[in-house]
Amino acid sequence: MRMSRSYLQVLLTFARNSFVRDTMFRTNFVLECVSSVSWTLMNVGFYLIVFHYTPLIGPESGWGKHQFFVFLGTTWLINSLVQTFFMTNADDYSELIRTGNLDFALLKPIDTQFLVSFQKVDWSALSNFFAGLILLAVSLGHLCTRPEHPLVITPWAVALYVVYVLCGVAILYSLMIALASTSIWLGRNQTLYDFWFYITNFARYPMEIYNRGWGVPLWVLFTFVVPVLVVVNVPARILAQPLYPERSLGWPLAAFALAATVASLAASRWVFQRALRSYRSASS
Amino acid sequence: MAIIELQQLSKSYWVYQKREGVRASLRSLFRRDYRAVHAVRGIDLTVEQGEFVAFLGPNGAGKTTTLKLLSGVLTPTAGQARVMQHVPWKRENAYRRRFALVMGQKNQLWWDLPAQESFRLHQHIYRIDRAQFRQTLDELTVLLGVTKLLQQPVRELSLGERMKMELIAALLHSPEVLFLDEPTIGLDVVAQHNIQRFLKYYQQKRRITILLTSHYMKDVSALCKRVVIIADGRIHYDGSLSGIVDRFSGHKIVTLQLAEGQDPTHLDRFGSVVEVEPPKARLRVERRRVPAVMAALLNAYAVEDVAVEDPPLEEVIAEVFLQADDAAAAAATAALPAGPR
Repeated sequence: MRMSRSYLQVLLTFARNSFVRDTMFRTNFVLECVSSVSWTLMNVGFYLIVFHYTPLIGPESGWGKHQFFVFLGTTWLINSLVQTFFMTNADDYSELIRTGNLDFALLKPIDTQFLVSFQKVDWSALSNFFAGLILLAVSLGHLCTRPEHPLVITPWAVALYVVYVLCGVAILYSLMIALASTSIWLGRNQTLYDFWFYITNFARYPMEIYNRGWGVPLWVLFTFVVPVLVVVNVPARILAQPLYPERSLGWPLAAFALAATVASLAASRWVFQRALRSYRSASS
Repeated sequence: MAIIELQQLSKSYWVYQKREGVRASLRSLFRRDYRAVHAVRGIDLTVEQGEFVAFLGPNGAGKTTTLKLLSGVLTPTAGQARVMQHVPWKRENAYRRRFALVMGQKNQLWWDLPAQESFRLHQHIYRIDRAQFRQTLDELTVLLGVTKLLQQPVRELSLGERMKMELIAALLHSPEVLFLDEPTIGLDVVAQHNIQRFLKYYQQKRRITILLTSHYMKDVSALCKRVVIIADGRIHYDGSLSGIVDRFSGHKIVTLQLAEGQDPTHLDRFGSVVEVEPPKARLRVERRRVPAVMAALLNAYAVEDVAVEDPPLEEVIAEVFLQADDAAAAAATAALPAGPR
């Protein structure tokens, strides 16, 4: 009990210190918020154009404009949470290894993975979280008030949605921290941002688009090997229910997403610990 | 009671050898050359509770690596170590709460924030009771004279002020063992002196055990009774500072002030001449010959004043380092495979 309270206090101090630091450079902070939100708005514009030409993404998939915007809003929520809490830290971790400054993290009487993963909070990335909430609210509003089969959202669905959003964050975090840990063996690994771009590129569309031809091996790869397809698809399906009033989410997929979360966290923990054993610091 | 015990502690690793030029760079994409570096080679050492021990040695001697092994940052290739009954590289929290490592060339404070914010973080990480934290922080800031600087961002502090803050961060949890890796590097004389004075006072008051590496002989002579000379990953000497001269220097320095009209030539009959600046002359004389040489000198010259001293400590230590380097080079040559050289 005392231990978890102390971890929480450390986490809050990290968040507080990051906020104090961000506000010291307030123009930079505002610019970062503005640039994130602008990119987000452009994204909405792009998909509005796409839906000008087609009513659905994937035939008979049920992903119409508003359902897809729930999907997009969920993508932003998950991405912004990952960027706020983990992206900077995973990126810094490679640098800590290269410069030998990881020494200090190893000296502290606290879990090293916790320390490395939460050290900084990038508050400006949270602007997209609010943008995601607005997009969700607007799209769900449309779906719940449509004349035919108005969508009904139960508190149970909202609770499940929150759980699966957190699962999605955990899967992406696991991938990132495992990739950053390889810097211990490689000396330097600056592919993190590229990797993030590639992965989120695959994760940001409904999994139905991978149902045909060359899509099938990609579906297998990004569901069972690197499970990024379940990251947004599972929670988005719970809220958007594209096939409503039929059920849009099968229990096997939901159970698989939970299992994939646990497996990803365990695998990344293993890689992290394994890599730490090979850490050799840098010159004094 | 022994608080630190090392037995045959060794650390080796492979270092990538980058050759010059584009062709070598292309080749290195497919095949790389590595060289084994033996940073620490079978060190045995015992330190008692409350000792202040200095590690002296040239760059690359293995001093910092030893400190990193003792603080659990690195895992050894062979050998054993126990600090306060803990094996450092197991990285147990119970051990990490009881020691601290300060590195003069690295910074653990949040760069853009006032040091006060980093101290609060340490309070939570080390789970220091609020009242205890306040009391320790007040005591340390007063002792180091930095109370007014607590609100200033770390990046706006001078090097000396920053080092004082680093020391505070390391001492907030009242460690029983402190590892200091060149804590005064790059500091001016006044800042060096302040930190020496603080360390001396703190160590005597708390009776903590400190291992210090430094290139400044003044740090060592001001603080440590015991000195360990490490070169080429091995311990070459372990004893008192003054004992270094007895052990490694077979010479004394004889300084003569000759009477007016005395010609200081032909002094080389008595020993090797270090410098002649009439009427003064300095000679290097073999230790066992000093009495005989003194008698002969006083017989041959009219002398107004005379002093017989040990050679400067820095000089003796530099000689030890050089000897260690030569021995390492000879060992490396002997280890080369047979064939045309």
